[in-house]
Amino acid sequence: MSPVIEKMKPRDRVLAALAGKPVDRPPVCTPTNVATVELMDLVEAPFPDANRNGEMNARLAATAYTELGFDTIAPYFSIIQESSALGCDMQWEQKDNWPTVRMSNPIWRGSSDVKIPSNFLEHQDTRAITDSISILKREYGDQVAIIGKTMGPWTLAYHVFGVEPFLLGTVDDPDETMKALHALKEITILYGLAQIDAGADVLTLPDHATGDLVSGEYYKRFLLEMHQELEEALPVPIMLHICGATVDRMPYIAQTGMAAFHFDSKNDPVEAVAAVDGKIRLVGNINNPTTLYARGPKEVRAEVYAALDAGVQLIAPECAIPLKTKLENLIEIPAAIEDWVAERGVM
Amino acid sequence: MPITHEGLAKEFKWVTRPGEQKHIGEAIDPTDPIMQEMAYELIVGNNVDVDRLTREALDSGYSANQILDDGLLNGMAIVGVKFRDNLIFVPEVLVAARAMKAGMAHIEPILSASGAKPAGTVIMGTVKGDLHDIGKNLCIMMLRGAGFIVHDIGVDSSPEDFIAAVEEHGAQIVGMSALLTTTMPNMGRTIATFEDMGLRDEVRIMVGGAPVTQDFADEMGADAYGDNAVEAVDRAKELVALLAELRSS
Repeated sequence: MSPVIEKMKPRDRVLAALAGKPVDRPPVCTPTNVATVELMDLVEAPFPDANRNGEMNARLAATAYTELGFDTIAPYFSIIQESSALGCDMQWEQKDNWPTVRMSNPIWRGSSDVKIPSNFLEHQDTRAITDSISILKREYGDQVAIIGKTMGPWTLAYHVFGVEPFLLGTVDDPDETMKALHALKEITILYGLAQIDAGADVLTLPDHATGDLVSGEYYKRFLLEMHQELEEALPVPIMLHICGATVDRMPYIAQTGMAAFHFDSKNDPVEAVAAVDGKIRLVGNINNPTTLYARGPKEVRAEVYAALDAGVQLIAPECAIPLKTKLENLIEIPAAIEDWVAERGVM
Repeated sequence: MPITHEGLAKEFKWVTRPGEQKHIGEAIDPTDPIMQEMAYELIVGNNVDVDRLTREALDSGYSANQILDDGLLNGMAIVGVKFRDNLIFVPEVLVAARAMKAGMAHIEPILSASGAKPAGTVIMGTVKGDLHDIGKNLCIMMLRGAGFIVHDIGVDSSPEDFIAAVEEHGAQIVGMSALLTTTMPNMGRTIATFEDMGLRDEVRIMVGGAPVTQDFADEMGADAYGDNAVEAVDRAKELVALLAELRSS
């Protein structure tokens, strides 16, 4: 067992864990959304408005800390803020569903079309997040880690080019694909820096080169160097997020220099820990649709223990949680971590 | 006659399950060199050559059915195996499907005019509130590659959209897809609407999508669940056979 460490503030705990330093207990983290319909009702900040208004957004985001007891607050609930500001066709939906880009109606065809609007950071949907981060930093910044989120070029490419045209392009003209990714990367940097300026302590960088769609070799070929560049350009700890099966690309992801990788329950945590070989921290990987949504605290606790036993350093739901997830299941995550530490000592 | 096309012979080595080796091998072995070349060019996603070979084959007197079975479907069978076994991924499947489409453009009108019986008729859609379609589209490609007629009703499809499509096309199978955890329950709502309309016994319903599981499919009252596009084809074949058996009895 490691020496006893004094109780840490949530923010210090998160930043220490991301830096690979000792912690009093593994943090419980929100690289992606943990807002639910119940929480929206509690603070009167429903979707879709909470995605588009900084004040409402901050109210809802703060519940991760105030109601759930997580160590982080993450105000960017979805994956669409930049794409909306770029002019993508949006479906905003209702309180109980995610806003989504209509990807079957893409706005651009190739790299030469990529243009960042001069008012990109002033658009309602990009401002909602930076405004929210400023509020959250002011109200909770001393205590809790504020997690921003900036979409990676691969995910942006799905939104602006459409999934199928983009993926076909990777075969037909890989050089053009690289040009497009480099152009889109500038959006990732611009929005990431804006959130850091607003007060984000950490950034999640989702870039959905998932094993459900492309190979691990694709990750190496198209994204590894780009992610290394992003890590250098964004001066805060970065948590890369990729859904789905990713063990085959984790050895590459471990070379990005990023602070952590947020991984999905489709990957066994023991295999994931072996795959990254200590070169990057892991965040994850409590299952959403089955465990958090449809099961109870007992099953949540078992998954938390399995992740911690495997050596996962930061615990989190695997991805944005179902909006009707029961709060008791979410609250069980920090409780289970406390109990695990009491039983087994810190990592 | 063994597989004579060198490239196709190499591709066939990826088929390792004994049952599939027998089934696909027996389908390919007796085929002519032009059909083997067509299958190979489809697998590697060469739509220009599949287009050319299909035209040449028709000009040489091959029937549309023979081109479909011996060339295109044999190629897609190997694509399906490689995709399921993570030897290839979505981009490679997309280029193969594009090549299939290039060939089908020439033979589909002939097949339709001849009244050839398809493997089955399927309605495919992403459920209400969900705009994701790559998984659905992969299933459609694989189903068409296995000889099904598929009517794609697109994304954000209401229960009424599914029902209208079934009635319009006389489909036996409905396939529903969802990527979002928030929209998965709409699968159950669609199934309930089929029940309310008294149409549940007329169709068999299969579901899939990244967050969907067999347990969830059972809970929603679906008849089948597919973990991937290849399984969707297997389930569709089973459901068509089941329906035929029920109707004959």
